[in-house]
Amino acid sequence: MASSEATSSAMEIEKVAAAAPAAVLRPQFEALKPHDMSDGKVQFRKVGVPPHRYAPLKRCWMEIYTPIYEQMKIDIRMNLKARKVELKTRADTPDVSNLQKCADFVHAFMLGFDVADALALLRLDDLYVDSFEIKDVKTLRGEHLSRAIGRLSGKGGKTKFAIENSTRTRIVIADTKIHILGSFLNIKVARDSLCSLILGSPAGKVYSKLRAVTARLAEKY
Amino acid sequence: MAATPVTTAAPAEEEAARQGEEALERLMSADAPLYLSPSPELAKDARTASRYLFSSLVPFCPKPPLDSLLADDGFDAEQIWCQIDLLSRPLLSVLRRELNRLEREPPAPVPGSGLDVGVAGEAAEKERVMEDGEGDEEDGDESEGDEEEEEEEAEEDEDEGDEEEKEDEEGEAKGNQVEDKFLKIKELEEYLEMEEEKEYGRPERKGNKHEEEDEDDDDEEDAADAEEEDDLDLGDFDGDGDEETGTAENARYEDFFGGIKKKGLNKNGIVGKRKCSSNGIDFVDGLESTDMDIEENDDKGQKILSTHEKELKKLHSKIEQMEKANLEPKSWTMQGEVTAAKRPKNSALEVDLDFEHNVRPAPVITEEVTASLEDIIKKRIIEGHFDDVQRAPILPSKSPKDHKELDENKSKKSLAEIYEEEYAQKSGLAPAPLTVSDTFKNEASLLFKKLCSKLDALSHFHFAPKPVIEDMSIQVNVPALAMEEIAPVAVSDAAMLAPEEIFQGKGDIKEEAELTKAERKRRRGNKKRKFKAEMAKTTAKKAGQNVIPGSTNEKPRS
Repeated sequence: MASSEATSSAMEIEKVAAAAPAAVLRPQFEALKPHDMSDGKVQFRKVGVPPHRYAPLKRCWMEIYTPIYEQMKIDIRMNLKARKVELKTRADTPDVSNLQKCADFVHAFMLGFDVADALALLRLDDLYVDSFEIKDVKTLRGEHLSRAIGRLSGKGGKTKFAIENSTRTRIVIADTKIHILGSFLNIKVARDSLCSLILGSPAGKVYSKLRAVTARLAEKY
Repeated sequence: MAATPVTTAAPAEEEAARQGEEALERLMSADAPLYLSPSPELAKDARTASRYLFSSLVPFCPKPPLDSLLADDGFDAEQIWCQIDLLSRPLLSVLRRELNRLEREPPAPVPGSGLDVGVAGEAAEKERVMEDGEGDEEDGDESEGDEEEEEEEAEEDEDEGDEEEKEDEEGEAKGNQVEDKFLKIKELEEYLEMEEEKEYGRPERKGNKHEEEDEDDDDEEDAADAEEEDDLDLGDFDGDGDEETGTAENARYEDFFGGIKKKGLNKNGIVGKRKCSSNGIDFVDGLESTDMDIEENDDKGQKILSTHEKELKKLHSKIEQMEKANLEPKSWTMQGEVTAAKRPKNSALEVDLDFEHNVRPAPVITEEVTASLEDIIKKRIIEGHFDDVQRAPILPSKSPKDHKELDENKSKKSLAEIYEEEYAQKSGLAPAPLTVSDTFKNEASLLFKKLCSKLDALSHFHFAPKPVIEDMSIQVNVPALAMEEIAPVAVSDAAMLAPEEIFQGKGDIKEEAELTKAERKRRRGNKKRKFKAEMAKTTAKKAGQNVIPGSTNEKPRS
């Protein structure tokens, strides 16, 4: 019975197809690839390499290259002369935003973050990198500045690690510049604690605040 | 008027007597209000009158202290009274002796003495009134006047008694001694009986009424004095009443015990009886008859009520009383809720109120009570059973939180790994990691299980197998069938795996170093063939994907 029905339907379709050329079937298109969206043009990104990150880049090149090329389907190459990393979309790049993600990933590495940490940028959409300077918070000079930096890091970096662990962020303190990698809310919390440290509050106070905040954050999730 | 000397001749005496009588008459005729204010005329008359009376009484006294009363203007009331007293005291004793004698030998009554009694009574009254006025005039002091009154009353009563006794004597004498043509004993007796019938049976005697009314007036004056003696004398009276019933057959209750109305009468009878102390039948009869007469006169009906009728009357009166009481507003004690404003002041103090006490009365502390308390205390101390307040245990409302400690070391996991783990937990691919407390718990439970198994083995004889400790040891390359394989306990896990499961491969296994050239070539050729086959497959697949269903690319179904 089923087969007879199937054959009958097939015959009907054929009949219809043959009979009425005026009745146009609704066209069904595949989603456009990013390649097609830009009308077949290739998009580029270029990320400059600071001199102090040159050697680490060399060291971690494969770790950077593999996820970009394999998973994100973005062409990546290092322009040694210009000291820049160039990124290019391919024909089979699945998503438009992949290029930008890869660029951000590379940029984060250039700022000083670990590859593994920067890799989270590739995987998650809602991670950002926020940068600010110490002088944005408070004008400090000479010894004060040094002390502030020391306060930020703590002994053996423990304060920085404490903040990182409690807020699930990654912090890079590059002289007077501070970069924070993480989700928006976590960045905010980390930034607040760092600012309070810059302004002069002792580490213990920052810890207590951190504890409260992280408990709240943990409850949310 | 100057006092006439007492030693003058009889005409002088008569003159004095006449003057005295005139003075008495004048005193009597004077208006009562005149006595209230002292007037010299009345005083003069009083003195003359008293002088006359004194001189008239002097012959009766055995030893008169004075022949005549010295009552000139110079003499004081006190002095005059003393003189009268001096005279009257021995006179009283004489009179008393006479009375006793008369009691012992009562004289026979005389029929014609009734009038005399009335006259004598009137005279006595006159004397009494005059003396009252005298007392008031001279002194203005009631006490002395009263004393004089009493004296005079006593004298007068005794006089009356004397007169009546004399009458009685006369009567008796007549009956026994004289019986001539004019008087026959039988007639006398008949007459007497008739009189008695009249007194006891028939209540119509107006002459006596008049007397009794006068006597009542006097009695009301005497009431205050004689009240106290009523109770004592009632007994005497009753005794005499009983005697009377025995003697008179037609006597009735009312005759003796009178009605409730005339107490005055009773008193009169009692007073008369006490003072006179005569058992003369007529005298007593007279009194009783008077009582009866007055009662009957006061009755509304003209007949005497029977006992039943009396009871009925009482009942009716009671009913009327009760009905009246019911109509009137009740006393405040009988009303429901009464505030202080509705009852008279301090009236609650007089009434015995009963109200509920919500408070237990305080215990009276006696030695026994204290001893019992001490016993209780001792017992409690020995037992150690005190009523201490125990702190209530705080119940844990929430489970204790595990506080995440701030890790100050560099985190071993990268950010990517952290998010990866989080995602895995959320999606359920990986189980939640054990917290520190959980590891501790697991460790503790493990230890306890081990301990329990050992104790069980020691404590009882029946075999308990070793507890199964679940380990997460993953056995690689073990097909499902192998897991269910029943193998002896001694076989190890390593031995469980078959050689194929340990190594998969074919033929001789040679290292690359051991291979000959031909073998190397053969291996490479195999590899290439495999690669080519795979490539062909993938390209075919891709080609297949690019075909739109329904278009020319599509291969027709066969």
